[in-house]
Amino acid sequence: MRSASAARLRFVSRLVEEVALAAAEWRDPRPFDTVYFGGGTPSQLSAEELGRVLDACRAHLTFETPAPWVFLEANPEDVTAEACAAWRALGVRTLSLGVQSFSDETLRFLGRRHSGRQARAVGETALAAGFDTVSIDLIFGVRGQTADDWRRELEAAVALAPQHVSCYQLTIHPDTRFGVQAKHGQLSELPEDDQATLFELTHRFLADAGWPAYEVSNFARGPAHQSRHNRKYWDHTPYLGLGPSAHSLAAADASSPARRWWNERGTPRWEKRLAAGERPIEAQELLGPKDLAAEALLLGLRTTDGLDLDGLRARYGVDLLAANDTLVARLVDEGHVVVRADAEGGRWLVPTLSGMAVADGLAAAFDLSLPN
Amino acid sequence: MDHIRNFCIIAHIDHGKSTLADRLIQRCGAVEDREFRDQILDSMDLERERGITIKANTVTLPYTARDGKTYELNLIDTPGHVDFSHEVRRSLMSCEGALLVVDASQGVEAQTVANLYLATEFGLTVVPVINKIDLPSAEVDRVMEEIDRDLGLDPFESIQVSAKMGTGIDDLLEAIVTKLPPPKGDPEAPLKALLFDAQYDSYRGAVLLVRLFDGKLKAPTRVRLMHSDAEHKVEEVGNQTLKRVPVPQLSAGEVGYVLAGMKSLAGLAIGDTLTEADRPAAEPVPGYREAKPVVFSSMYPMDTNDYEDLTKALEKLKLNDASLVYEKDSSAALGFGFRCGFLGLLHLDVVQERLEREYDLSLILSAPSVRYRIVLNNDKEVWIDNPTFYPDPAQIKEAYEPYIKAAIMTPERYLGAVMELCRERRGVETTYHFLAAGRMEVTSQLPLAEVLFDFYDRLKSITQGYGSFDYEMLDYRLGDMVKVDILVNGEKVDALSQLVHREFSRPRALRYTERLAKKIPRQQFKIAIQGAIGGQIIARSTINPFRKDVTAKCYGGDISRKRKLLEKQKEGKKKMKMVGNVEIPQSAFVSVLKTEDDDDDE
Repeated sequence: MRSASAARLRFVSRLVEEVALAAAEWRDPRPFDTVYFGGGTPSQLSAEELGRVLDACRAHLTFETPAPWVFLEANPEDVTAEACAAWRALGVRTLSLGVQSFSDETLRFLGRRHSGRQARAVGETALAAGFDTVSIDLIFGVRGQTADDWRRELEAAVALAPQHVSCYQLTIHPDTRFGVQAKHGQLSELPEDDQATLFELTHRFLADAGWPAYEVSNFARGPAHQSRHNRKYWDHTPYLGLGPSAHSLAAADASSPARRWWNERGTPRWEKRLAAGERPIEAQELLGPKDLAAEALLLGLRTTDGLDLDGLRARYGVDLLAANDTLVARLVDEGHVVVRADAEGGRWLVPTLSGMAVADGLAAAFDLSLPN
Repeated sequence: MDHIRNFCIIAHIDHGKSTLADRLIQRCGAVEDREFRDQILDSMDLERERGITIKANTVTLPYTARDGKTYELNLIDTPGHVDFSHEVRRSLMSCEGALLVVDASQGVEAQTVANLYLATEFGLTVVPVINKIDLPSAEVDRVMEEIDRDLGLDPFESIQVSAKMGTGIDDLLEAIVTKLPPPKGDPEAPLKALLFDAQYDSYRGAVLLVRLFDGKLKAPTRVRLMHSDAEHKVEEVGNQTLKRVPVPQLSAGEVGYVLAGMKSLAGLAIGDTLTEADRPAAEPVPGYREAKPVVFSSMYPMDTNDYEDLTKALEKLKLNDASLVYEKDSSAALGFGFRCGFLGLLHLDVVQERLEREYDLSLILSAPSVRYRIVLNNDKEVWIDNPTFYPDPAQIKEAYEPYIKAAIMTPERYLGAVMELCRERRGVETTYHFLAAGRMEVTSQLPLAEVLFDFYDRLKSITQGYGSFDYEMLDYRLGDMVKVDILVNGEKVDALSQLVHREFSRPRALRYTERLAKKIPRQQFKIAIQGAIGGQIIARSTINPFRKDVTAKCYGGDISRKRKLLEKQKEGKKKMKMVGNVEIPQSAFVSVLKTEDDDDDE
């Protein structure tokens, strides 16, 4: 049904080559228990092509038995009952649908080709296909969008009863079409107060409807449907990224501190490096305890579990509460965070809803000095 | 002595004094045409840019007149601003004559009148010079009428020139020789020389510019400075052309320079009298007055790490600006700095600009203050120029503030607005009189403190640029001062405290709190900004905490970028000043402390 264009074929071949090159240098002995096809439009590859990539990974890397959990991001226009069946056969267990909106107007504004009706239909198709988790991904904060408009979108999403919902606020990056429009005054992000209103509405509405948040933008019908894969990014579990601009993280070991590297951003450069038999790495950085602690803090404050304070001290030597006692007291007072003990008596710094909304500022407010 | 003429050029800002001086220098051949740089006497970039002379320069010019004789013309340049009137007086005292420059299109201005009064006070012969006659807008007839009516000078004695085009310069040189009197003095009497200026030379140290009234001066005489009572051995004397040219001796009536092995200008008082240590004059040159700072402000480096650089820069600046005084100061909010005293607002401006431009420093200056005289309950008297040291109001019996006498010239149509401005600024005995047709002079006795706060800008704005202003210090008068503190979340920001008249305390406090509220970025907490007198809150602004800043997406593994943004944010915070637990960016201080209204519409 899909013509195998030369460019796509070449891309897949390079990706397969990269798997082999990367695997040769991957030292972590732990088996891979998740595989995520995302970033861009992986659903444009045919199931057969996705299968080639998966096979390459299985051949060169250690997979968990019987099989890792496979995630796939899909554009609504690529989703059919047949495609879903083919993806299921590959082992895809979570399908993330880039629905964006159920409103024709908003979809047009976002430059999407599908309609609101199609979005609903596609959601039904995916949910009927038997995936463990189907996620409906939405965007809010479009110019002119009122709280009522957005509530209708959320209602439409929960009416489909997906296992997972992601709600991203529209952010305008300078080097995108939106960025150009913003520069010419045709587009702007919502004022902060309206952003805050929509953000709170999202969290309250979905929690009431049975999809409590587990992160700033992610909501699941029970812990089993939370993204096992994304969690790894948030808790410094090592990951190997393949393809243009993919990021990877290797844990610290006896010979090296933790290390993050990233691939060439443009597809042509990425292909060129691989064609030359090189790994297409653009740059890397070494992460010391302070870097990792800073990341743990900023990521932890984005999750409803919060930040594992004892873990932070054990792993990176940072006693966050001791170094920031006045700040924490004020933040508790302000209703932005709570300090909570878990069943084992471990302490956690947990953001409230209002705290999560300002997680970036909170992270910057903490002193992360390591003890001398 | 008959071949000597000592004269100065006096003018309102922008009436072309420096250009005229340049032209005279050029015509007398003191400089080759090809090395000629416009406005030679205004040697600082700053002076050239602002069109004012900040530091006087002096030059000796040889001139062969139409009578065939060669004259020595000593052009004694005067600083062009009221802040330096002390130095102006010393310069005038060294002359027998003055060229009073009037712009052919602007006409007589407040400073022109003030300058004439000064010149007459010193008994100088004044020749009016109408400059810029080449301008299309020149109205020579009207200006001649003003010279007659406002200045009481004979307009037909005036010389018409265009310094820019070089027209009339020969006539002017001739007038200097024929109309200005030669100096008088006794070359055989004990040395009496007026120190009217001093410059700093990085190789030779202090260069003293003197006018000899009596006696002779040559190396290696031991001289004594009569007021500061210091003795030095003269190493060299000479004429100051554009370069220094040594001569064997200087004699009564002459103007020249003296090198006496002094390393800096520190301790030198302009207006002091040089005499011979072994054969001193009976009396010094009369009229000596110490240059006293009247405006005070604390200077802090924007980056606290630059404190050492600021210290060094001030030391260097002080070498050639003896009127600048400073002492160490520190602020809880802004760190270490200096409390500085200035001769006036322009002097403050000039020092700040020179520090920033020549020494590459970024500075924050506290609100300028005048010096108050406070009588305590125990009848002890204290002088206060720094709000930090303002006594507890309960201990104050009486507080006195300095007054000035302001002379404002304005076209008649703005008279009402000018009178209103004076009234607003607590002016008393405000009167006016007509000068020429359509022109008025308003005089008013104003508290200096009210003039420090954007008075000049307001005057310019209400008179659409036509108003001009001059002042002299008057006396100290009883006042009702209060200390206004600015509090951020209950903590006092010491650098923002200021002394103001009770009547203005509320609007001033409001202005500060509102500006701060605009400039402090929203933080996690609500920030209360208050203006207070003692425990009483008189103004309040609030900054609401931000409600939403979290970025939506943080997956795909690119955590590095996010962390780097965070690091950058933290780096930015380091540059902020912590007051209590509120971060205040430097820009907030800068914005609050500047007096202009220019960012109010942001």
